[in-house]
Amino acid sequence: MATLIYIARRLLLLIPQLLVISVVTFVLVRMLPGDPARLELGPLAPQAGVDLLRARLRLDRPLPEQYIAYVERIWRGDFGRSWVNSSQVSQDLLVRLPATLELITAGMLIVFLVMVPIALASANPSGGLLARAMRRASFGYGLLAGALPDFWLGLVLIFIFFSLLGWAPGPEGRVGILDIAPDRVTGFYTVDALIAGDWPTFKAALAHLVLPAITLAFVYGGPIFKMVQSSMEAAMRAGYTTYATGLGLPRRTVLLWATRNAAPPAIVMTGVVAGFLLGGAVLIETVFNLNGLGQYAVQSITTADYAPVQAFVLVAAVFTMLVYLIVDLIYFMIDPRVAARAKRGR
Amino acid sequence: MNRAIAPQTRINSGESAPRKTRARLVWNGLSTFQRIILAGFMVTVFLAAFGPMLAPFPTTLADPMQRLSPPGAKHLFGTDENGIDVLSRLLAAPRTDVTIALVATALSVAVGAALGVFAGYFEGGTRRWLHWASEIGLRFLDILQAFPVFILAMVLVAIRGTGPMNVLFAVAFVNFPVFLRLVRSEVLSLRERPFAEAALAIGNSDLGVCFRHLLPNAWPVVIVQVSVTVGFAILLTAGLSFVGAGVSPPTPELGSMIASGAKFMILGQWWVVMFPGLMLGLIVFTFAMMGEILGRFLEPGHSSTAQSRARSPVTARNRPKAMEPKAGSPNEVLSVSGLVVKPAFGGGRPVLDRVDLHVEQGEILGIVGPPGAGKSVLVRSIMVLLGDKLHHAEGRIAFRGEDLTGLDERALRRILGRDLVPLLANAKEQLNPLVRIGELMVAHIRAHSPCSRRVARQRAADMLGSIGITDAERRLRAYPHELSGGMAQRVCIAISLIHRPALIVADEPTAGLDVTVQRQVLDLMIGLCEETGAAQILATRDLGIVAQYCRRVAVLHEGRIVETGLVEKVLVAPSHPATRALVEAARLQSVPTTLAEATP
Repeated sequence: MATLIYIARRLLLLIPQLLVISVVTFVLVRMLPGDPARLELGPLAPQAGVDLLRARLRLDRPLPEQYIAYVERIWRGDFGRSWVNSSQVSQDLLVRLPATLELITAGMLIVFLVMVPIALASANPSGGLLARAMRRASFGYGLLAGALPDFWLGLVLIFIFFSLLGWAPGPEGRVGILDIAPDRVTGFYTVDALIAGDWPTFKAALAHLVLPAITLAFVYGGPIFKMVQSSMEAAMRAGYTTYATGLGLPRRTVLLWATRNAAPPAIVMTGVVAGFLLGGAVLIETVFNLNGLGQYAVQSITTADYAPVQAFVLVAAVFTMLVYLIVDLIYFMIDPRVAARAKRGR
Repeated sequence: MNRAIAPQTRINSGESAPRKTRARLVWNGLSTFQRIILAGFMVTVFLAAFGPMLAPFPTTLADPMQRLSPPGAKHLFGTDENGIDVLSRLLAAPRTDVTIALVATALSVAVGAALGVFAGYFEGGTRRWLHWASEIGLRFLDILQAFPVFILAMVLVAIRGTGPMNVLFAVAFVNFPVFLRLVRSEVLSLRERPFAEAALAIGNSDLGVCFRHLLPNAWPVVIVQVSVTVGFAILLTAGLSFVGAGVSPPTPELGSMIASGAKFMILGQWWVVMFPGLMLGLIVFTFAMMGEILGRFLEPGHSSTAQSRARSPVTARNRPKAMEPKAGSPNEVLSVSGLVVKPAFGGGRPVLDRVDLHVEQGEILGIVGPPGAGKSVLVRSIMVLLGDKLHHAEGRIAFRGEDLTGLDERALRRILGRDLVPLLANAKEQLNPLVRIGELMVAHIRAHSPCSRRVARQRAADMLGSIGITDAERRLRAYPHELSGGMAQRVCIAISLIHRPALIVADEPTAGLDVTVQRQVLDLMIGLCEETGAAQILATRDLGIVAQYCRRVAVLHEGRIVETGLVEKVLVAPSHPATRALVEAARLQSVPTTLAEATP
């Protein structure tokens, strides 16, 4: 019951948040110099078309009415047209968004399958040689992770693994130039290829995903890594760990229970990083030419193509809000103390 | 730029005598690694200031004859697609990035800290409209931070056009919320402190309190964040320039240098990209590390000598070999001899010094001593649970004739929790907040006597019932935070007795409980010990408890046992000044009634 109330309250909070996001996006685009209709249609469009759009966007009416027109339009899923590609922005989003999500998912998988175990192992104070080696490695990694620019790291990886060694494909996109993208079901090329049973395409998609995902994991996994490490260290030093050891519980149980305590802060950090990445993976997408959402936004800004920018900013902000919502709900479920506080009405 | 490095240069040049010694102290406190960082930071600052003048070749003049020549004697780092010397551009470029990042960060701090002070000061205050203003501002900030930083910066630059100034404003704008939040949360906690209330009470204005009293106290945290943000701002500036939305060529700038070399990287001409990236990494890295060093230096109570010591860990591996078990009295459960415990790092005074103890079957031995005498350490060292800050230097801990310090982890685990169990202070802190009571008890039961989960659960419920806990099933389902302190301690007692141990080692088992509950808990525990024949070590600072429940007592003072004997002897006629002081202190707290009870 408490859970349901909490979720309901948290969902209710989403409504004003989304409203403010739409206001901010609206204002942001109105701040751009020039006529919004002209901006959306581009410099080459005939004046008649611009006038038509002006009327549809009610740009001749007072601002509040313009805002309502804007919200109505988004509600219908109409984000306008890109004048550069002359395509529906909503259609573009459907292609671009999965590309970015696939990259983020792959990167996060690496973080959780490779980096988090290392962080956990290095936080174990009474470990043997392995733990000490891990500690060394993680110290070095902690120093590097925040300092190296992602776009540079991507280029260096391409240089090493493509130009020098020839192990990975070059930055040609999500699949090779000669490969055909699989039929769209989820928009994730790897998943779609598997669904279609198309083994070669799956391998190509995976191969094209490896280097960008490693870059992403290395650069943006840093904060998660450090958070896991420090909260695990704290849990290992905590009184309850000493007590559990003193009761002679199996080592595995003691570690597992400590991990349980280290999880919540790490999950919050993961949420923050994931929320950041939809727009934050821009440079990695650009370097590897993945045609993701961020790259789409960057291209659009450089060509003064504002309908996609507006759509992107909105989508990214909503995505971040949703990620935060999910994080809150997970936190609520794994930490009984939060539920207790919620019951008492904070 | 000079402003930003001011604190560090002042420390190093040292205008006055006390400063100089402090500077020396700090310098000595730094590890070699930190000294290297400091040097790297100086180099970065120097490059940012004078880099363009060091360039051996012109930095913006194209030379088509020299396009993309690899590193060699003439061009140490090679040349780029325009035939410009990479090294020269590399020396000139940091000025652009570092200047933009520093000024932008300064701007974010100025705006963010000012707004943050107000938000923190007026939040939840009595003036409704100010409270609501800060509340609304913060919610708005939430939303603002949901927008992707990089794209937001790009759009801002697009609104105003590319160019260093606009990049600067964009970088400053996306970073100011960080400082606002940071200063707000600092001020929120600072304004509760007496000095803030005093400042207001003696007639300071709100503004005066904010900026003269609260803000200066928030600086240390802000400065650490500044170093992180400067690094982030440098990467952001470079990233913006990389996609062409920042500083545009020909101005030497690291991000655009990487962008111009990107397509050649794939062809194997690596030098155009490699060096600017390394330079970026190095700059961001030194800034971040400087922040860490400065933060440590600014931390109140910072002791540089302790820092330097902590660098040379003494491994806890050089334990003396376990001595041959010597036959003690057959009734002896525990015998500690010559126990010395020292801090694990850097030697120093031992925490426990040549402690000798022995406990016989079914006996209750009290250990008393003032706070800080080493009672908890003694309890923990008996169970070989010292953690990584202390280490067992020498001595024997023989439990039923077996030296615990010589056992490996596996053998120790079989004894701990079954024959030798801990009962520690503040039970609620000993219970993992995310583990249900039942889960802990079942795991503990099954760790020492293999049985099914269901049987173990039944045993746990029976045990809780037998110590008078009603609706045991509900307690087993509870998380620790759902129990009261007394109930949690009762659960811990149940846990310690379930395997009928030979010895319970209790450390202030009733601390934090109110007096009536203390009595109930102690009566319960002692009664059960008598029933099961468990011996007990009871460390406490409460002489009343010792007088009432213990047979013998050992007085611990500054890590040594100064006196030991029967309770009625030691407490009535103390021979050591430390014991006398303890007894005197207890008398003043009107405990003598219990003392009198215990001494007929």
